[in-house]
Amino acid sequence: MDFLFSYIALAEIYVLLSLSTNLLVGIAGIFSVSQAAVFGVGAYIVAWFLMNNVLGFVPAFLIAAAGCVVLNILLTLPALRVSGDYFVVTSFGIQLLATAVFTNWTTGTGGANGLPGIPPPDLFGKALESTGQIVTLCSAAMVLSCVAFWLVMRAPFGRMLRAIREDELAVAAAGKNVLRAKVSAAALAGAFAGIAGGLYATFLSFVDPTSFDLDASILMLTMVVVGGARTLTGSIIGPFLLLALPQILTLIEIPTTIAAAARQLLYGVLLIAFMLFRPQGLAGEKL
Amino acid sequence: MNAPYLQASGIEVSFGGLRALQDCGFTVDQGRITCLVGPNGAGKTTIFNVITGFLRPDSGSVSFRGKSLDGLKPQAIVDAGIARTFQNLRLFVDLTALDNVVVALPSQAGEEPVGAIFRPLHVAATQKRKRQEAMEILAHVGLEARAKDFVRNLSYGEQKLLTVARVLATGAELLLLDEPASGLSAGALDAVMALLRRLQADGKTLLVVEHNTRVVQQIADDVLFLHQGHLMAQGAPAEIISDPALAEIYFGGAI
Repeated sequence: MDFLFSYIALAEIYVLLSLSTNLLVGIAGIFSVSQAAVFGVGAYIVAWFLMNNVLGFVPAFLIAAAGCVVLNILLTLPALRVSGDYFVVTSFGIQLLATAVFTNWTTGTGGANGLPGIPPPDLFGKALESTGQIVTLCSAAMVLSCVAFWLVMRAPFGRMLRAIREDELAVAAAGKNVLRAKVSAAALAGAFAGIAGGLYATFLSFVDPTSFDLDASILMLTMVVVGGARTLTGSIIGPFLLLALPQILTLIEIPTTIAAAARQLLYGVLLIAFMLFRPQGLAGEKL
Repeated sequence: MNAPYLQASGIEVSFGGLRALQDCGFTVDQGRITCLVGPNGAGKTTIFNVITGFLRPDSGSVSFRGKSLDGLKPQAIVDAGIARTFQNLRLFVDLTALDNVVVALPSQAGEEPVGAIFRPLHVAATQKRKRQEAMEILAHVGLEARAKDFVRNLSYGEQKLLTVARVLATGAELLLLDEPASGLSAGALDAVMALLRRLQADGKTLLVVEHNTRVVQQIADDVLFLHQGHLMAQGAPAEIISDPALAEIYFGGAI
């Protein structure tokens, strides 16, 4: 049971990350490959506050979300100046820089050894120790975020972002503030990633840089592509499906030494296959 | 004396060594259809870009209803009451015809995420009104039957009408239309010309880039003749079109 719960909690956290990536890459057309960096900052902020007994889970969580909003706006700013292809390169650099900081800033992040023993989340003075309680917390966060995403997408804001992805000059000609819309999209995507980070740190009670590296960013993109870009359903299907695959792989007899590599291989093959043969993913639109 | 409705004066624009506009100046009167003509490369689209804030001129100034537009961003110029279409349409092809118009309607609730998330009912209610408004605009240009269709499924003529619907949605009073009639079949051409006259009757002022002399003759109240980035002549359509010197420039030395 605990095993199933862990899978669900992790998938729910990744749904938040998919929403973040989908909003930025799928809907606003800001091709970021550094969402894992923002996710990591959220996780480290919450871990630091809880481990040093500075704040409770809720305020730490809110600070992490707010911090990631600001961070993601800053990281996305180059996208307002340079166009598509150039921004991918910029964003790639940001991700590598973040991984370097996570790995080498040993006093803040524990370096490559990570931060073990993060206390469980507490709500209203009660620690959520069982996996069941944490799943409930993650489910609540996922549902609220999905509702927020759905509301945003059906509002004029969502429509404007879709229009911006197609032709931002035409949106400006219609008298709209393109810059503000892009900054708002980055802020919301940052909030989703920060919330995911906070949940992740307390759920695993351990964080290390490998969870927030380029591979993680690409995993999020793969989830969006496989699930389907620009739809809520796609962002839910993607994580649940992709995180189930490694479990299925364990049923096949492969040596544990190559299990991680086999998983990466599978994700890579899926990403390529979907881009070539089904760019709209399982339940989405063409990226 | 009243300030001119739209006035451009002394506009200079260079792209590297190319002088796209040289001391370009003219006025446009309120409530009229003014056609901007001239050979390719005369600077017609460039002057559109200057007026709508997409291009900052090297020198010169533009004023609208006596107020300077210099240095304003496109958004502020739309707010001031001037909006444009593009020669290459620039429609949102993945959106429906209706959504293309709704996007351009001004000041909507829920255009930022906080309002969208925390005031969903208010947003839904205003959206209903905005969709109605957009439907009326579509009906005005004759596209109400295509409202739910995606732009990529519309004919070229319908797409041109949709660009006019989108520019109307901004609520601007001065519309800059970049070749609204080019590439259209005879039937679609008549529909566009009739639409432009309807807009004039609604009180809009139109500045229209047009190549087709027949169209110019039929719709224009005034004609501005641009050549090598400079205003060569301004006058009634018949005068401009019958001027042999201008025809020589326009059609080349062949005639």
